[in-house]
Amino acid sequence: MTEVYSIDPLIIKTPYEITYKHSYGKTSRFFTALSSGKLMATRCEHCKTTFLPPRSDCPYCLAETKWVEISGKGKIHTFSTLYFSGERFLKDLPFQLVYVDLEGVDTLFLTRLKTKDMKKVKVGMKIRMKISRDPEWRSSDVWAELDE
Amino acid sequence: MPRKVAVVAGGLSYFSKARRDKTQEELAAEAARMALFDNDINLSKDDIDGTIVSYFSDHFENQLLFGSIIQDYLGFNPKPSVRIEGGGATGGLAVRDAYAHVASGLLDVAMVIGFEKMSEVNTAKGNEFIALASDTDWDFPIGGFYSGYYALMAKRHMEEFGTTEEQMAMVAVKNRNNAQHNKFAQTNPKMNPFGMKDGGKITVDDVLKSPYVAFPLKRLDICLMSDGAAVLILASEEKAKKITDTPIWITGTGAGTDAMRAGDRPRTLSGVPILPHEKKEWYKNLEYPGVHSFRAGRESARQAYKMAGITNPLKQLDLIELHDAYTSSEIQTYEDLGLTKYGQGGKLIEEGVTALDGELPVNPSGGLIGTMHAVGATGVMQGVEMFWQLQGVAGKFHGSDKTQIKNAERGLIHSHAGTGTYVTATIMER
Repeated sequence: MTEVYSIDPLIIKTPYEITYKHSYGKTSRFFTALSSGKLMATRCEHCKTTFLPPRSDCPYCLAETKWVEISGKGKIHTFSTLYFSGERFLKDLPFQLVYVDLEGVDTLFLTRLKTKDMKKVKVGMKIRMKISRDPEWRSSDVWAELDE
Repeated sequence: MPRKVAVVAGGLSYFSKARRDKTQEELAAEAARMALFDNDINLSKDDIDGTIVSYFSDHFENQLLFGSIIQDYLGFNPKPSVRIEGGGATGGLAVRDAYAHVASGLLDVAMVIGFEKMSEVNTAKGNEFIALASDTDWDFPIGGFYSGYYALMAKRHMEEFGTTEEQMAMVAVKNRNNAQHNKFAQTNPKMNPFGMKDGGKITVDDVLKSPYVAFPLKRLDICLMSDGAAVLILASEEKAKKITDTPIWITGTGAGTDAMRAGDRPRTLSGVPILPHEKKEWYKNLEYPGVHSFRAGRESARQAYKMAGITNPLKQLDLIELHDAYTSSEIQTYEDLGLTKYGQGGKLIEEGVTALDGELPVNPSGGLIGTMHAVGATGVMQGVEMFWQLQGVAGKFHGSDKTQIKNAERGLIHSHAGTGTYVTATIMER
Protein backbone atom coordinates (compact mmCIF):
# COMPACT_ATOMS: atom_id res chain seq x y z
CA MET A 1 0.00 0.00 0.00
CA THR A 2 1.37 3.39 -0.92
CA GLU A 3 1.61 5.71 2.06
CA VAL A 4 -0.02 9.08 1.35
CA TYR A 5 1.61 12.08 3.10
CA SER A 6 -0.70 14.82 1.80
CA ILE A 7 -3.70 15.16 -0.50
CA ASP A 8 -3.24 18.71 -1.85
CA PRO A 9 -0.73 18.68 -3.37
CA LEU A 10 -0.71 14.89 -3.55
CA ILE A 11 2.47 13.65 -1.84
CA ILE A 12 3.27 9.93 -1.61
CA LYS A 13 6.05 8.17 0.29
CA THR A 14 8.45 5.81 -1.53
CA PRO A 15 11.07 3.79 0.42
CA TYR A 16 14.33 2.81 -1.32
CA GLU A 17 16.96 0.30 -0.21
CA ILE A 18 20.07 -0.99 -1.92
CA THR A 19 23.13 -3.15 -1.11
CA TYR A 20 26.44 -2.45 -2.81
CA LYS A 21 29.22 -5.06 -3.13
CA HIS A 22 32.09 -2.58 -2.83
CA SER A 23 35.71 -3.62 -3.52
CA TYR A 24 38.60 -1.86 -1.79
CA GLY A 25 40.79 -3.15 -4.61
CA LYS A 26 44.52 -2.93 -3.91
CA THR A 27 43.94 -0.87 -0.77
CA SER A 28 42.28 -3.95 0.81
CA ARG A 29 45.60 -4.63 2.53
CA PHE A 30 45.11 -1.63 4.81
CA PHE A 31 42.10 -3.39 6.35
CA THR A 32 43.53 -6.93 6.42
CA ALA A 33 46.76 -5.66 8.07
CA LEU A 34 44.72 -4.14 10.90
CA SER A 35 43.80 -7.67 12.07
CA SER A 36 47.50 -8.30 12.81
CA GLY A 37 47.72 -4.98 14.63
CA LYS A 38 49.58 -3.17 11.87
CA LEU A 39 48.82 0.31 10.57
CA MET A 40 49.92 0.51 6.94
CA ALA A 41 50.35 3.45 4.59
CA THR A 42 51.64 3.54 1.01
CA ARG A 43 54.82 5.22 -0.21
CA CYS A 44 55.93 6.37 -3.61
CA GLU A 45 59.62 5.44 -3.92
CA HIS A 46 59.96 7.85 -6.83
CA CYS A 47 58.92 11.11 -5.12
CA LYS A 48 59.22 9.84 -1.51
CA THR A 49 55.65 10.77 -0.57
CA THR A 50 53.77 8.62 1.98
CA PHE A 51 50.00 8.49 1.78
CA LEU A 52 47.33 7.70 4.33
CA PRO A 53 44.58 7.00 3.27
CA PRO A 54 46.66 4.70 1.10
CA ARG A 55 46.86 5.28 -2.65
CA SER A 56 47.95 2.38 -4.84
CA ASP A 57 49.18 4.84 -7.46
CA CYS A 58 51.05 8.08 -6.74
CA PRO A 59 49.10 11.11 -7.97
CA TYR A 60 52.33 13.06 -8.52
CA CYS A 61 54.30 10.42 -10.49
CA LEU A 62 51.67 7.80 -11.40
CA ALA A 63 54.21 5.28 -10.11
CA GLU A 64 52.90 2.27 -8.18
CA THR A 65 53.34 2.74 -4.43
CA LYS A 66 54.68 0.31 -1.82
CA TRP A 67 53.19 -0.59 1.56
CA VAL A 68 55.00 0.68 4.65
CA GLU A 69 54.15 0.22 8.32
CA ILE A 70 53.72 3.41 10.34
CA SER A 71 53.89 4.03 14.09
CA GLY A 72 50.41 5.52 14.46
CA LYS A 73 51.79 8.33 16.61
CA GLY A 74 51.05 11.89 15.71
CA LYS A 75 49.58 15.28 16.53
CA ILE A 76 46.18 16.96 16.14
CA HIS A 77 46.28 19.34 13.16
CA THR A 78 42.71 20.55 13.67
CA PHE A 79 39.53 19.26 15.33
CA SER A 80 35.76 19.68 15.46
CA THR A 81 33.05 18.48 17.80
CA LEU A 82 29.95 17.38 15.89
CA TYR A 83 26.44 17.82 17.25
CA PHE A 84 24.72 16.89 13.98
CA SER A 85 25.58 14.46 11.18
CA GLY A 86 24.29 12.40 8.30
CA GLU A 87 21.38 10.12 9.15
CA ARG A 88 23.32 6.95 9.92
CA PHE A 89 25.61 8.61 12.49
CA LEU A 90 22.98 10.51 14.48
CA LYS A 91 23.12 7.77 17.15
CA ASP A 92 26.82 8.52 17.82
CA LEU A 93 26.39 12.24 18.58
CA PRO A 94 28.18 14.18 19.90
CA PHE A 95 31.58 13.00 18.62
CA GLN A 96 34.88 14.55 17.57
CA LEU A 97 36.65 14.49 14.24
CA VAL A 98 40.33 15.34 13.87
CA TYR A 99 42.86 15.71 11.10
CA VAL A 100 45.97 14.03 12.47
CA ASP A 101 49.51 14.68 11.32
CA LEU A 102 51.06 11.20 11.67
CA GLU A 103 54.77 10.38 11.97
CA GLY A 104 56.16 9.27 8.62
CA VAL A 105 53.04 10.31 6.67
CA ASP A 106 52.89 13.33 4.35
CA THR A 107 49.10 13.63 4.12
CA LEU A 108 46.73 14.47 6.96
CA PHE A 109 44.44 11.63 8.10
CA LEU A 110 40.82 12.28 9.01
CA THR A 111 39.60 10.14 11.89
CA ARG A 112 37.56 10.19 15.07
CA LEU A 113 39.14 11.24 18.34
CA LYS A 114 37.81 9.20 21.23
CA THR A 115 38.24 10.89 24.60
CA LYS A 116 36.16 11.23 27.75
CA ASP A 117 36.88 14.94 28.01
CA MET A 118 36.17 16.57 24.65
CA LYS A 119 36.54 20.07 26.13
CA LYS A 120 40.24 19.75 26.76
CA VAL A 121 41.18 18.89 23.16
CA LYS A 122 43.56 21.36 21.51
CA VAL A 123 45.45 21.66 18.23
CA GLY A 124 48.96 20.23 18.59
CA MET A 125 48.10 17.58 21.22
CA LYS A 126 49.81 14.21 20.81
CA ILE A 127 47.67 11.27 19.74
CA ARG A 128 48.09 7.57 19.08
CA MET A 129 46.02 5.59 16.58
CA LYS A 130 43.99 2.67 17.92
CA ILE A 131 42.71 -0.36 16.03
CA SER A 132 39.32 -2.00 16.60
CA ARG A 133 39.30 -5.64 17.74
CA ASP A 134 35.89 -6.03 16.20
CA PRO A 135 36.38 -4.98 12.56
CA GLU A 136 33.62 -3.50 10.44
CA TRP A 137 36.03 -3.30 7.46
CA ARG A 138 35.53 0.45 7.29
CA SER A 139 37.76 3.44 7.99
CA SER A 140 36.02 3.63 11.38
CA ASP A 141 38.08 0.52 12.36
CA VAL A 142 40.82 2.97 13.37
CA TRP A 143 40.61 6.09 15.52
CA ALA A 144 42.81 8.41 17.55
CA GLU A 145 43.17 8.67 21.32
CA LEU A 146 45.10 11.30 23.26
CA ASP A 147 48.65 10.05 24.00
CA GLU A 148 49.13 11.26 27.56
CA MET B 1 39.56 33.17 -31.58
CA PRO B 2 36.60 32.65 -29.22
CA ARG B 3 33.56 34.84 -29.90
CA LYS B 4 32.44 37.50 -27.44
CA VAL B 5 29.64 36.21 -25.23
CA ALA B 6 26.97 38.16 -23.34
CA VAL B 7 24.34 37.36 -20.76
CA VAL B 8 21.01 38.69 -22.05
CA ALA B 9 18.37 37.46 -19.58
CA GLY B 10 17.89 35.84 -16.18
CA GLY B 11 15.10 34.42 -14.07
CA LEU B 12 14.62 32.91 -10.63
CA SER B 13 11.96 30.94 -8.80
CA TYR B 14 11.04 31.71 -5.23
CA PHE B 15 13.32 29.67 -2.96
CA SER B 16 12.05 27.69 -0.03
CA LYS B 17 12.97 24.86 2.31
CA ALA B 18 10.16 22.91 0.62
CA ARG B 19 8.32 23.95 -2.55
CA ARG B 20 5.74 21.18 -2.28
CA ASP B 21 3.40 23.20 -4.48
CA LYS B 22 5.44 22.40 -7.60
CA THR B 23 7.51 19.60 -9.15
CA GLN B 24 11.14 20.18 -10.08
CA GLU B 25 10.25 20.75 -13.75
CA GLU B 26 7.49 23.17 -12.75
CA LEU B 27 10.04 25.14 -10.70
CA ALA B 28 12.35 25.26 -13.73
CA ALA B 29 9.44 26.60 -15.80
CA GLU B 30 8.85 29.31 -13.16
CA ALA B 31 12.42 30.59 -13.61
CA ALA B 32 12.46 30.11 -17.41
CA ARG B 33 9.25 32.10 -17.77
CA MET B 34 10.77 35.00 -15.84
CA ALA B 35 13.94 34.88 -17.96
CA LEU B 36 11.99 34.96 -21.22
CA PHE B 37 9.12 37.30 -20.33
CA ASP B 38 10.19 39.63 -17.49
CA ASN B 39 13.51 40.87 -18.92
CA ASP B 40 13.50 43.72 -21.43
CA ILE B 41 14.52 41.62 -24.45
CA ASN B 42 13.68 40.94 -28.04
CA LEU B 43 13.87 37.15 -27.86
CA SER B 44 11.37 34.31 -28.19
CA LYS B 45 11.68 30.80 -26.82
CA ASP B 46 12.22 29.48 -30.34
CA ASP B 47 15.42 31.57 -30.60
CA ILE B 48 17.10 29.37 -27.98
CA ASP B 49 19.49 27.03 -29.85
CA GLY B 50 20.18 24.61 -27.00
CA THR B 51 20.31 24.15 -23.24
CA ILE B 52 22.84 23.44 -20.51
CA VAL B 53 21.06 21.69 -17.66
CA SER B 54 22.56 22.13 -14.19
CA TYR B 55 21.65 19.86 -11.29
CA PHE B 56 23.71 18.07 -8.65
CA SER B 57 22.03 14.98 -7.33
CA ASP B 58 20.11 12.07 -8.78
CA HIS B 59 19.41 10.93 -5.20
CA PHE B 60 17.15 13.73 -4.00
CA GLU B 61 14.46 12.93 -6.58
CA ASN B 62 15.41 9.28 -7.21
CA GLN B 63 15.28 10.04 -10.92
CA LEU B 64 18.18 9.60 -13.34
CA LEU B 65 18.38 11.60 -16.58
CA PHE B 66 16.30 14.44 -15.18
CA GLY B 67 17.82 16.70 -17.82
CA SER B 68 15.72 14.96 -20.44
CA ILE B 69 12.55 15.59 -18.45
CA ILE B 70 13.46 19.29 -18.24
CA GLN B 71 14.31 19.56 -21.94
CA ASP B 72 10.95 18.00 -22.80
CA TYR B 73 8.95 19.91 -20.19
CA LEU B 74 10.25 23.28 -21.38
CA GLY B 75 9.66 22.31 -25.01
CA PHE B 76 13.22 22.36 -26.35
CA ASN B 77 13.26 18.98 -28.13
CA PRO B 78 14.95 18.10 -30.50
CA LYS B 79 17.59 20.79 -29.85
CA PRO B 80 20.93 19.92 -28.21
CA SER B 81 21.22 19.69 -24.41
CA VAL B 82 23.88 18.60 -21.95
CA ARG B 83 23.80 18.00 -18.23
CA ILE B 84 26.59 19.52 -16.10
CA GLU B 85 27.37 18.20 -12.61
CA GLY B 86 30.14 19.26 -10.28
CA GLY B 87 28.83 19.22 -6.70
CA GLY B 88 28.27 22.68 -5.25
CA ALA B 89 29.99 24.22 -8.28
CA THR B 90 27.49 22.65 -10.68
CA GLY B 91 25.91 26.03 -11.48
CA GLY B 92 29.20 27.84 -12.01
CA LEU B 93 30.47 25.05 -14.23
CA ALA B 94 27.21 25.17 -16.22
CA VAL B 95 27.52 28.93 -16.81
CA ARG B 96 31.14 28.38 -17.89
CA ASP B 97 30.06 25.55 -20.19
CA ALA B 98 27.36 27.72 -21.74
CA TYR B 99 30.03 30.39 -22.28
CA ALA B 100 32.20 27.79 -24.04
CA HIS B 101 29.29 26.60 -26.21
CA VAL B 102 28.56 30.15 -27.39
CA ALA B 103 32.20 31.32 -27.62
CA SER B 104 33.05 28.33 -29.80
CA GLY B 105 30.10 28.86 -32.12
CA LEU B 106 28.37 25.59 -31.23
CA LEU B 107 25.35 27.58 -30.05
CA ASP B 108 24.32 31.18 -30.76
CA VAL B 109 21.81 31.45 -27.94
CA ALA B 110 22.06 29.08 -24.95
CA MET B 111 19.80 28.69 -21.94
CA VAL B 112 21.33 27.50 -18.64
CA ILE B 113 18.69 25.80 -16.49
CA GLY B 114 19.71 25.20 -12.87
CA PHE B 115 17.50 23.51 -10.29
CA GLU B 116 17.39 21.26 -7.26
CA LYS B 117 14.61 19.94 -5.08
CA MET B 118 16.12 18.82 -1.79
CA SER B 119 13.01 18.60 0.35
CA GLU B 120 11.76 15.14 -0.58
CA VAL B 121 14.05 13.47 1.97
CA ASN B 122 14.49 14.52 5.61
CA THR B 123 17.31 16.94 6.50
CA ALA B 124 19.61 14.28 8.01
CA LYS B 125 19.21 12.10 4.90
CA GLY B 126 19.80 15.18 2.74
CA ASN B 127 23.03 15.86 4.65
CA GLU B 128 23.96 12.21 4.09
CA PHE B 129 23.38 12.51 0.33
CA ILE B 130 25.58 15.60 0.24
CA ALA B 131 28.17 13.73 2.32
CA LEU B 132 28.23 11.06 -0.41
CA ALA B 133 29.97 13.83 -2.38
CA SER B 134 32.95 13.29 -0.07
CA ASP B 135 35.22 10.23 -0.09
CA THR B 136 32.91 7.34 0.88
CA ASP B 137 35.78 4.88 1.54
CA TRP B 138 37.60 7.06 4.08
CA ASP B 139 35.97 10.32 5.15
CA PHE B 140 32.26 9.45 5.23
CA PRO B 141 32.30 6.16 7.25
CA ILE B 142 33.70 7.84 10.38
CA GLY B 143 30.67 10.14 10.53
CA GLY B 144 31.93 12.82 8.19
CA PHE B 145 29.54 15.32 6.68
CA TYR B 146 30.01 18.71 5.15
CA SER B 147 29.47 20.93 8.17
CA GLY B 148 32.03 18.76 9.98
CA TYR B 149 34.58 19.05 7.17
CA TYR B 150 34.16 22.84 7.02
CA ALA B 151 34.37 23.08 10.80
CA LEU B 152 37.75 21.31 10.72
CA MET B 153 38.97 23.74 8.07
CA ALA B 154 37.53 26.75 9.94
CA LYS B 155 39.26 25.68 13.16
CA ARG B 156 42.56 25.42 11.32
CA HIS B 157 42.00 28.88 9.80
CA MET B 158 41.41 30.22 13.32
CA GLU B 159 44.55 28.47 14.58
CA GLU B 160 46.70 29.62 11.65
CA PHE B 161 45.49 33.22 11.37
CA GLY B 162 43.54 34.16 14.49
CA THR B 163 40.14 34.31 12.76
CA THR B 164 37.31 34.49 15.33
CA GLU B 165 33.78 33.15 15.71
CA GLU B 166 32.60 36.79 15.96
CA GLN B 167 34.06 37.57 12.52
CA MET B 168 32.28 34.53 11.10
CA ALA B 169 29.04 35.67 12.73
CA MET B 170 29.39 39.05 10.99
CA VAL B 171 29.29 37.26 7.62
CA ALA B 172 26.04 35.53 8.59
CA VAL B 173 24.49 38.83 9.69
CA LYS B 174 25.54 40.60 6.48
CA ASN B 175 24.19 37.94 4.14
CA ARG B 176 21.04 37.13 6.08
CA ASN B 177 20.17 40.82 6.42
CA ASN B 178 20.88 41.53 2.73
CA ALA B 179 18.37 38.77 1.94
CA GLN B 180 15.65 40.72 3.74
CA HIS B 181 15.53 43.02 0.68
CA ASN B 182 15.32 40.18 -1.87
CA LYS B 183 11.88 38.72 -2.44
CA PHE B 184 13.30 35.40 -3.72
CA ALA B 185 15.14 34.72 -0.45
CA GLN B 186 14.20 31.73 1.68
CA THR B 187 14.89 33.63 4.93
CA ASN B 188 12.64 36.54 3.88
CA PRO B 189 9.10 35.74 5.11
CA LYS B 190 7.89 39.32 4.50
CA MET B 191 8.47 39.30 0.73
CA ASN B 192 8.68 35.60 -0.20
CA PRO B 193 5.34 33.77 0.02
CA PHE B 194 7.30 30.54 0.59
CA GLY B 195 9.79 32.11 3.05
CA MET B 196 10.62 30.48 6.36
CA LYS B 197 8.51 31.64 9.27
CA ASP B 198 11.49 32.06 11.61
CA GLY B 199 13.38 34.10 9.00
CA GLY B 200 14.02 37.84 9.19
CA LYS B 201 16.97 39.92 10.37
CA ILE B 202 19.56 38.58 12.79
CA THR B 203 22.33 39.98 14.99
CA VAL B 204 25.86 38.80 15.79
CA ASP B 205 24.52 37.75 19.19
CA ASP B 206 21.82 35.60 17.55
CA VAL B 207 24.51 33.79 15.55
CA LEU B 208 26.81 33.28 18.54
CA LYS B 209 23.92 31.95 20.63
CA SER B 210 22.62 29.59 17.95
CA PRO B 211 23.45 25.93 18.69
CA TYR B 212 26.69 24.36 17.51
CA VAL B 213 26.30 22.00 14.56
CA ALA B 214 30.02 21.28 14.39
CA PHE B 215 32.33 23.43 16.51
CA PRO B 216 33.19 26.21 15.60
CA LEU B 217 30.22 26.39 13.20
CA LYS B 218 26.76 27.15 14.55
CA ARG B 219 23.38 26.78 12.94
CA LEU B 220 23.34 30.39 11.67
CA ASP B 221 26.87 30.06 10.22
CA ILE B 222 25.60 27.44 7.78
CA CYS B 223 23.85 27.84 4.43
CA LEU B 224 20.30 26.84 3.61
CA MET B 225 19.01 23.73 1.86
CA SER B 226 16.49 24.77 -0.76
CA ASP B 227 14.06 23.91 -3.49
CA GLY B 228 14.15 26.18 -6.50
CA ALA B 229 15.45 27.04 -9.95
CA ALA B 230 17.48 29.68 -11.80
CA VAL B 231 17.75 30.34 -15.54
CA LEU B 232 20.31 32.39 -17.47
CA ILE B 233 20.38 33.08 -21.22
CA LEU B 234 23.69 33.66 -23.02
CA ALA B 235 24.17 34.85 -26.59
CA SER B 236 26.90 35.57 -29.12
CA GLU B 237 27.86 39.24 -29.67
CA GLU B 238 25.92 39.45 -32.92
CA LYS B 239 22.75 37.98 -31.41
CA ALA B 240 23.09 39.76 -28.07
CA LYS B 241 23.07 43.20 -29.69
CA LYS B 242 19.74 42.36 -31.35
CA ILE B 243 18.25 40.89 -28.17
CA THR B 244 19.01 43.74 -25.76
CA ASP B 245 20.45 47.28 -25.57
CA THR B 246 22.26 46.34 -22.33
CA PRO B 247 24.07 43.03 -22.80
CA ILE B 248 26.34 42.01 -19.91
CA TRP B 249 29.61 40.58 -21.22
CA ILE B 250 31.46 37.59 -19.85
CA THR B 251 35.07 38.80 -19.98
CA GLY B 252 36.86 36.14 -17.97
CA THR B 253 36.36 32.69 -16.59
CA GLY B 254 38.53 30.28 -14.64
CA ALA B 255 38.20 26.87 -13.02
CA GLY B 256 40.33 25.12 -10.41
CA THR B 257 40.37 21.75 -8.68
CA ASP B 258 41.78 20.08 -5.59
CA ALA B 259 41.90 16.70 -3.83
CA MET B 260 38.55 15.25 -2.72
CA ARG B 261 40.05 14.49 0.69
CA ALA B 262 41.24 17.85 2.00
CA GLY B 263 43.90 16.04 4.07
CA ASP B 264 45.61 14.90 0.86
CA ARG B 265 46.34 18.46 -0.24
CA PRO B 266 49.94 19.62 -0.09
CA ARG B 267 51.33 21.82 2.64
CA THR B 268 54.06 23.50 0.65
CA LEU B 269 56.03 26.59 1.59
CA SER B 270 55.82 29.22 -1.18
CA GLY B 271 53.03 27.18 -2.75
CA VAL B 272 50.56 30.03 -3.21
CA PRO B 273 49.72 30.86 -6.85
CA ILE B 274 50.55 34.57 -6.77
CA LEU B 275 48.14 37.17 -8.20
CA PRO B 276 49.47 40.25 -10.08
CA HIS B 277 49.08 42.57 -7.06
CA GLU B 278 50.73 40.16 -4.60
CA LYS B 279 54.33 39.50 -3.63
CA LYS B 280 55.71 35.99 -3.29
CA GLU B 281 57.52 36.85 -0.04
CA TRP B 282 54.18 37.56 1.71
CA TYR B 283 53.62 33.81 1.88
CA LYS B 284 57.11 32.37 2.22
CA ASN B 285 56.27 30.98 5.67
CA LEU B 286 52.75 29.79 4.86
CA GLU B 287 52.14 26.06 4.34
CA TYR B 288 49.73 26.04 1.41
CA PRO B 289 46.96 25.15 0.80
CA GLY B 290 46.73 22.74 3.74
CA VAL B 291 43.18 22.53 5.02
CA HIS B 292 42.82 26.27 5.73
CA SER B 293 42.69 27.63 2.16
CA PHE B 294 41.10 26.71 -1.15
CA ARG B 295 43.77 26.35 -3.81
CA ALA B 296 41.07 25.65 -6.43
CA GLY B 297 39.45 29.00 -5.62
CA ARG B 298 42.75 30.82 -5.98
CA GLU B 299 43.50 29.06 -9.28
CA SER B 300 40.04 29.84 -10.71
CA ALA B 301 40.44 33.52 -9.78
CA ARG B 302 43.97 33.70 -11.19
CA GLN B 303 42.73 32.46 -14.60
CA ALA B 304 39.62 34.68 -14.64
CA TYR B 305 41.60 37.81 -13.66
CA LYS B 306 44.20 37.11 -16.33
CA MET B 307 41.54 36.69 -19.01
CA ALA B 308 39.65 39.84 -17.95
CA GLY B 309 42.80 41.92 -17.38
CA ILE B 310 42.22 42.40 -13.66
CA THR B 311 45.36 43.26 -11.71
CA ASN B 312 43.79 44.55 -8.49
CA PRO B 313 40.46 42.82 -7.74
CA LEU B 314 39.52 44.96 -4.71
CA LYS B 315 39.75 48.11 -6.85
CA GLN B 316 38.54 46.75 -10.18
CA LEU B 317 35.50 44.76 -9.07
CA ASP B 318 32.29 46.51 -8.00
CA LEU B 319 30.59 43.52 -6.41
CA ILE B 320 30.93 39.77 -5.87
CA GLU B 321 28.46 36.93 -5.50
CA LEU B 322 30.39 34.08 -3.87
CA HIS B 323 29.62 30.61 -2.55
CA ASP B 324 29.06 31.25 1.18
CA ALA B 325 28.24 27.64 2.11
CA TYR B 326 29.63 28.59 5.53
CA THR B 327 30.53 31.93 7.07
CA SER B 328 34.07 30.59 7.44
CA SER B 329 34.30 29.73 3.74
CA GLU B 330 33.25 33.27 2.76
CA ILE B 331 36.19 34.56 4.83
CA GLN B 332 38.52 31.95 3.31
CA THR B 333 37.28 32.89 -0.17
CA TYR B 334 38.05 36.62 0.33
CA GLU B 335 41.67 35.51 0.59
CA ASP B 336 41.57 33.04 -2.32
CA LEU B 337 40.13 35.79 -4.54
CA GLY B 338 42.94 38.11 -3.47
CA LEU B 339 40.66 40.75 -1.91
CA THR B 340 43.07 40.76 1.01
CA LYS B 341 46.21 38.87 2.07
CA TYR B 342 45.90 35.26 3.22
CA GLY B 343 45.04 35.39 6.90
CA GLN B 344 43.34 38.80 6.74
CA GLY B 345 39.86 37.66 5.60
CA GLY B 346 38.35 38.08 9.05
CA LYS B 347 39.52 41.71 9.19
CA LEU B 348 37.86 42.44 5.83
CA ILE B 349 34.38 41.62 7.16
CA GLU B 350 35.16 43.40 10.43
CA GLU B 351 36.07 46.61 8.54
CA GLY B 352 32.81 46.50 6.57
CA VAL B 353 34.58 46.31 3.21
CA THR B 354 32.15 43.64 1.94
CA ALA B 355 28.97 45.18 3.37
CA LEU B 356 26.19 46.42 1.10
CA ASP B 357 27.58 49.98 1.48
CA GLY B 358 31.22 48.89 1.62
CA GLU B 359 34.03 49.29 -0.90
CA LEU B 360 33.33 45.87 -2.46
CA PRO B 361 29.92 44.44 -1.53
CA VAL B 362 29.88 40.63 -1.34
CA ASN B 363 26.63 38.70 -1.68
CA PRO B 364 24.19 41.60 -1.91
CA SER B 365 21.60 38.94 -2.92
CA GLY B 366 21.89 37.30 0.50
CA GLY B 367 23.97 34.41 -0.85
CA LEU B 368 23.62 30.81 0.22
CA ILE B 369 23.16 31.79 3.87
CA GLY B 370 20.35 34.27 3.32
CA THR B 371 18.75 33.39 0.02
CA MET B 372 19.15 29.83 -1.19
CA HIS B 373 21.26 26.76 -1.79
CA ALA B 374 19.32 24.61 -4.22
CA VAL B 375 22.62 23.14 -5.35
CA GLY B 376 22.30 22.99 -9.18
CA ALA B 377 20.56 26.38 -9.22
CA THR B 378 23.04 28.17 -6.95
CA GLY B 379 25.82 29.15 -9.37
CA VAL B 380 23.20 30.04 -11.97
CA MET B 381 21.40 32.25 -9.42
CA GLN B 382 24.69 34.11 -8.91
CA GLY B 383 24.84 34.73 -12.67
CA VAL B 384 21.25 36.01 -12.66
CA GLU B 385 21.95 38.29 -9.70
CA MET B 386 25.12 39.67 -11.28
CA PHE B 387 23.29 40.22 -14.59
CA TRP B 388 20.51 42.21 -12.89
CA GLN B 389 23.01 44.18 -10.80
CA LEU B 390 25.11 45.19 -13.82
CA GLN B 391 21.98 46.11 -15.79
CA GLY B 392 20.90 48.22 -12.80
CA VAL B 393 17.56 46.40 -12.46
CA ALA B 394 18.19 44.38 -9.27
CA GLY B 395 15.73 46.56 -7.37
CA LYS B 396 12.94 45.87 -9.81
CA PHE B 397 13.40 42.11 -9.52
CA HIS B 398 14.16 42.01 -5.78
CA GLY B 399 11.16 44.17 -4.93
CA SER B 400 13.42 46.64 -3.06
CA ASP B 401 16.02 49.16 -4.23
CA LYS B 402 18.25 48.59 -1.19
CA THR B 403 20.29 45.77 -2.75
CA GLN B 404 21.15 47.57 -6.02
CA ILE B 405 24.86 48.45 -6.06
CA LYS B 406 25.03 51.93 -7.63
CA ASN B 407 26.82 52.20 -10.98
CA ALA B 408 28.12 48.65 -10.82
CA GLU B 409 30.17 47.96 -13.94
CA ARG B 410 32.12 44.78 -13.24
CA GLY B 411 31.53 41.83 -10.93
CA LEU B 412 32.69 38.32 -10.13
CA ILE B 413 30.65 35.18 -9.52
CA HIS B 414 32.27 32.32 -7.63
CA SER B 415 30.94 28.77 -7.45
CA HIS B 416 32.45 26.13 -5.16
CA ALA B 417 32.11 22.36 -4.69
CA GLY B 418 33.06 19.85 -2.00
CA THR B 419 35.70 21.10 0.40
CA GLY B 420 37.04 23.17 -2.49
CA THR B 421 37.34 20.35 -5.02
CA TYR B 422 35.92 22.23 -8.01
CA VAL B 423 35.75 26.02 -8.04
CA THR B 424 34.85 28.44 -10.84
CA ALA B 425 35.22 32.20 -11.07
CA THR B 426 33.61 34.22 -13.85
CA ILE B 427 33.86 37.96 -14.55
CA MET B 428 30.86 39.83 -15.94
CA GLU B 429 30.95 43.42 -17.23
CA ARG B 430 28.52 46.05 -18.42
